[in-house]
Amino acid sequence: MEKAISLDKPMLRVSVAPHIQQKITTSHLMYNTLIALVPALLAGIYFFGFASLKLALICMATAVACEAGMKGVMGRKLTIINGSSLVLGLLFALICSPEVPWWTAVVGTAMAVILGSEIYGGLGNNPFNAVLVGWAVARISFTEQMTTWIMPEPLFGLEAGGYIEYPPLDVIRVDGVETLVDLPWLDLFIGNVPGTIGTVCVAAVLIGGIYLLARRIITWHIPVSFLASAWLFGLIFWLIDPEVYANPTIYLLSGWMVLGAFFLATDKGTVPVTAPGMIIFGIGCGLITMIIRYWGGFVDGVAFAILLMNALTPLLDRVRPRVYGRVKQVA
Amino acid sequence: MGLKTSFSGVSLPPQKVSNPAIEDAPLPKRVVLPLGQNGNRVCKPVVEVGEQVKTGQLIGQSDDFLVAPVHSSISGTITAIRPWFDLSGNEMLSVIVESDGNDSWLEEIRADEGFSDKEAAQLLTDLKAAGVVEIGPPSMPLHAKFATPEPSKEARFLVGIPQTKPVDTVIINGIDAEPGMAAKGAVLTKYSSEIADGIRILQKLIGSAQIVLAVNSNGSVSSPLSGELAGLSVQVFRGKDKYPLGLNPILIKCVTGREIPLPDGNEQDIGVAVVDAATLVHLVEAVRDLKPQVEKVVSISGAGITAVKNFRVRLGTLVQDLIEQQTGLKGEPVKVIAGGAMTGVALLSTDIPVSKETDALIFQTATEAKSFSPDACINCGLCVRHCPSRLLPNELSKYCEFSMFEEARARFLLHCIECGICAYVCPEKRPMLHLMRYGKRELSLA
Repeated sequence: MEKAISLDKPMLRVSVAPHIQQKITTSHLMYNTLIALVPALLAGIYFFGFASLKLALICMATAVACEAGMKGVMGRKLTIINGSSLVLGLLFALICSPEVPWWTAVVGTAMAVILGSEIYGGLGNNPFNAVLVGWAVARISFTEQMTTWIMPEPLFGLEAGGYIEYPPLDVIRVDGVETLVDLPWLDLFIGNVPGTIGTVCVAAVLIGGIYLLARRIITWHIPVSFLASAWLFGLIFWLIDPEVYANPTIYLLSGWMVLGAFFLATDKGTVPVTAPGMIIFGIGCGLITMIIRYWGGFVDGVAFAILLMNALTPLLDRVRPRVYGRVKQVA
Repeated sequence: MGLKTSFSGVSLPPQKVSNPAIEDAPLPKRVVLPLGQNGNRVCKPVVEVGEQVKTGQLIGQSDDFLVAPVHSSISGTITAIRPWFDLSGNEMLSVIVESDGNDSWLEEIRADEGFSDKEAAQLLTDLKAAGVVEIGPPSMPLHAKFATPEPSKEARFLVGIPQTKPVDTVIINGIDAEPGMAAKGAVLTKYSSEIADGIRILQKLIGSAQIVLAVNSNGSVSSPLSGELAGLSVQVFRGKDKYPLGLNPILIKCVTGREIPLPDGNEQDIGVAVVDAATLVHLVEAVRDLKPQVEKVVSISGAGITAVKNFRVRLGTLVQDLIEQQTGLKGEPVKVIAGGAMTGVALLSTDIPVSKETDALIFQTATEAKSFSPDACINCGLCVRHCPSRLLPNELSKYCEFSMFEEARARFLLHCIECGICAYVCPEKRPMLHLMRYGKRELSLA
């Protein structure tokens, strides 16, 4: 059979549809997350001095180096440029106390990159939130270093909030609810309390979270269901017995709650992707966090709540709306 | 009339459309007319090499219900009957006609018979003889949408159960769904009296059916058309500016609230027929003027053409000839797309003819042409957020990539309507739609 078209002529490029693509890339997602974390870092520098910045830079450098090393060892394409390691390193620094020694931070970040992410194939393929895996290793191995707190010393303007010597959650746990009188709500909100670098200033974290929502990097499902379920759960117990359980709003404004809801519980790949799945995930995180805070062995439950819910993610992805055109099979 | 339901989707970049709305493309020197539309269903040629043909003369026909006859789109001499590549790159038997430059039509055409005293059966016969093809997908002869086909062998055992629901809603799709498409909106403006006649013919064909005219959200019904529509029992459905509203499965859902039962069903199962606005004009010409389909309105864009232009092109005109007529082209196109930017087919060569399924051509230069990446999915969930079929494309693409086709079928791979949104939004630029189609193909062969 004679050929329809001479193949000597230069052929056109062929590819499958679609022939246009949205401009959003993985780097776009990651660098926007990095931008969203900047207010929290600035707040950390303001309250705890430039040691915070030093720790953040150490963690980010460690994360990039570890990713490069692992990619080299495994013979995979280098994807440093997409910024995921920078986000990982910065997030790790933000959930550390400013007093954490540099070697602890390096070990934790390296564990996060290697054990948390790279051995599974890198970004998006890890079952558990890599930052929290690294943090859990450091927290359990170096308990003393990871739980040493310093008082905030604002660089300018504000007086140091000197009414408590420990992070608010430790105060509730150790001294009991009755010590909480004349609460300085404003200090709790702007972060003038002891705690981890990036989580004390709820206002700065919220700005970053709203930025992520506005840029459509994340959806509302997980943060809203996380915070709402935690607050409502706390409200129930506060109404039952305010002598034992504190005002639920204190729990929202202290510890990692807001950073966890907007940044850690929305980590790509470790959380469900369907809308109902995300809402159940958020509710689960909120409830488990509060259960650990009330009765658990750890003071702040956010990390373990998210890690536990990460394990359920493949199951939660099965919770999904009915697909188009699905009809009951007539037997 | 508004949307009955909402759907996920995506807002695509807006496009400009040039005026005047539709220009006539010059008469081609040569046309290549493929003798079939879908796959193996091909007409038999009824002419021989060397024969003189006139415009509109029958050159191929078939007894098959799902094959439309083919007519010569110019007058001249038949120089060859041989295989030629069709849009998707398959070889198909085609008739090649060299023009004599006169464009002399068969005399019985342009008879302007009118249609008011014709019975429905006569209308269908005229429609079949004219070879009008609904663009789809799936593309099929238009008459097949309204005629009752012979029941299949399996169906004969199911006595008393009606095989297909009678059509109760006809949707005239006047929505230009994708970037690069502008033909339907232009047709609605320029051929307003034909559209009104088409609605009358549809009412004769299917007496009890409700007729809905779907138009773009911004393209309000223009003054000549709204005047023509006055007094006709037709509902106007205004869409919104969101892809894939113009694709049939989603359009049907938004207009009627019904869903096509997938994976095996089609729109006839739910009593709906969708007719492309441009095809409706061919229907009117077929029934009123006994004129076969020899032309197609094609939107041309890309490669320096910022505003989409519409041309009335003779069927069988080679894309190369169209490129040579274009003065606005900047740079050599490296990619030519037949169809819209979201679902169109990239052509193998510029020597491929314009067919009854072509409603747009997009030329892309080296800077405009996109490519896909082999990187792994990062599970960001953007495709899930935008999928109008509410699938999990991230998971399906991985199943197909690693040859787990049965798992993909169990996760509703066959419910994918191939709108291409997942590949459009993917931040890793994975070839999502390619993987879906690959999986579907493997399942169909298994």
